[in-house]
Amino acid sequence: MRCLTDIEVQAVVDDEASEEIRAHANACEACRARVSERRSQMETIASLVDADGMPSSALEARLRHAMSEASGVRGSTVLRANKPSAWRSVGLVSALATAAVIALLVYGVLPHFGAPTTLSASEVLSRSLQTISSGQGVERLEYEVAMDGMTAGPVVIRQVIDRDNPNRYKVASYRPDGTIATAVSQDPTTQQRSQLFHVDGTNYIVRVGAIHTPVLSIPQMAQALVETSIGIMQAKSDQQLTIEDGPAGRRYVVEIPPVTPQNPSATLDLFSARAVISGTDFRIQEFTATGTMLRQPFSVSVKLRTHEYIGGAVTNESFAITPGPDDVVIEGQADEDPITELMTTVLRELGRARGK
Amino acid sequence: MKAVHRPLASPATPTGPTPATTSTTVDPQAETLRLFQEHGTALYRFCRSVLRHTGDAEDVVQETFLKLLHHLQHDGDARNLKSWLFTVAANGCRDRTRWRLRWLPWTAERDDRTVDPIDEEVRLKADTTEADRARRAFRALAPRDRLLLSLRAQGLSYKDIAAASGIREQSVGRLLARALDRWRKQCVA
Repeated sequence: MRCLTDIEVQAVVDDEASEEIRAHANACEACRARVSERRSQMETIASLVDADGMPSSALEARLRHAMSEASGVRGSTVLRANKPSAWRSVGLVSALATAAVIALLVYGVLPHFGAPTTLSASEVLSRSLQTISSGQGVERLEYEVAMDGMTAGPVVIRQVIDRDNPNRYKVASYRPDGTIATAVSQDPTTQQRSQLFHVDGTNYIVRVGAIHTPVLSIPQMAQALVETSIGIMQAKSDQQLTIEDGPAGRRYVVEIPPVTPQNPSATLDLFSARAVISGTDFRIQEFTATGTMLRQPFSVSVKLRTHEYIGGAVTNESFAITPGPDDVVIEGQADEDPITELMTTVLRELGRARGK
Repeated sequence: MKAVHRPLASPATPTGPTPATTSTTVDPQAETLRLFQEHGTALYRFCRSVLRHTGDAEDVVQETFLKLLHHLQHDGDARNLKSWLFTVAANGCRDRTRWRLRWLPWTAERDDRTVDPIDEEVRLKADTTEADRARRAFRALAPRDRLLLSLRAQGLSYKDIAAASGIREQSVGRLLARALDRWRKQCVA
């Protein structure tokens, strides 16, 4: 038998060759070497594909969620109903008429409804998630929050966080009139942690040093909550996407219409949600949602005021609560539990004031 | 206004020697999740390799398993579901690629804040120049070459590759051989 062609060598490597070809590949030294070389190349290809890694752990959760809602739903991540398309009814619509109608729809009708022309709702949310989670450097945010059941009224939150070291942060909340209500800061580099409370017109600052174990970062927890919410929005099947082109640029509005709660025992579930996402950097500008968290109903509204990276202007002061002239500062000892740390410090101070 | 979404093309009728399950005895949701555990990673790697985008690959995988659920719920043919999954996923990838071309794709130049994390992972893992060249050469291949090699890399037979890629079974070996030759030339280019 003649020597094998490349196609036959490939078939041997892929275990698709006939008995005769395989016999020759075994008997002929030159062909055997070619098989070996090609097999090695295919193994390299396989390793390149495997290097694409694993799907994120959220994928299974998304799939389970979508499966539980898979009946009678629509959207970018679920199936359309399996009915035959009217467009495909052979003979009813001529190719020319079909093209004309599609052109009319694309260029005439959809733009007037602000229809998406480049991205799906899921993609917008996905890029927004990437923007949230891929931040680097020191970031300063200011946003308004209104949350039923957890705060008395709308508050303004100002936070500074070092994205390269998320345990380094400062968060302060302000009342609607602009006065500070509470603040928390933590800086592992200076080993300082402070908490501020505004009581009866006076700021009380509890400050501890020599912290060994930074406690969980509040901004990081808030970010995780936002990421989870966006993940849930992605998993919902009936996302609605609208594009708004205004003077400030393009904005994507992704909405999940109100639905009847299906899983009230879930740690976090959304019954309705709306996210307004910047078209330039995919940062969330506004977010409103209703749902349950830890089985308690909630309603939240967040509106971004400002956002900036302040790499060049960062000092240790950026992550500390600096006392004013009339503020009361109480020094304490660090503890692994910040609540215990706070209570111990305050009670010791109270004991000292009473002469004990 | 709902987001524009085009339905996937119907996969080829599943064929194969052994029934993986029977819809009369197995809960479709449980079976879908079992198959996700069994083939989810391979399917994701295939989609990621073809689409070169993590988010899109996960979306296609999710759509594929939702289609599977629908298929099982409606007493669809349960033979050779691995081939069925890859066929649907390949259609999904093609659909998404066409969609990108039609609507002008997002590119890094248009949004320098968004990165592709898997690319970064691969870049970090590519610790030799040879591996780096191999990866770049693979990515530079035409979509069909990448599709065929990725399907073969996931262990599909020529018959299954033909079903998933929409080409004749007799042509699979020839096209695979040529794709591999093109990749090898790219590696040394």
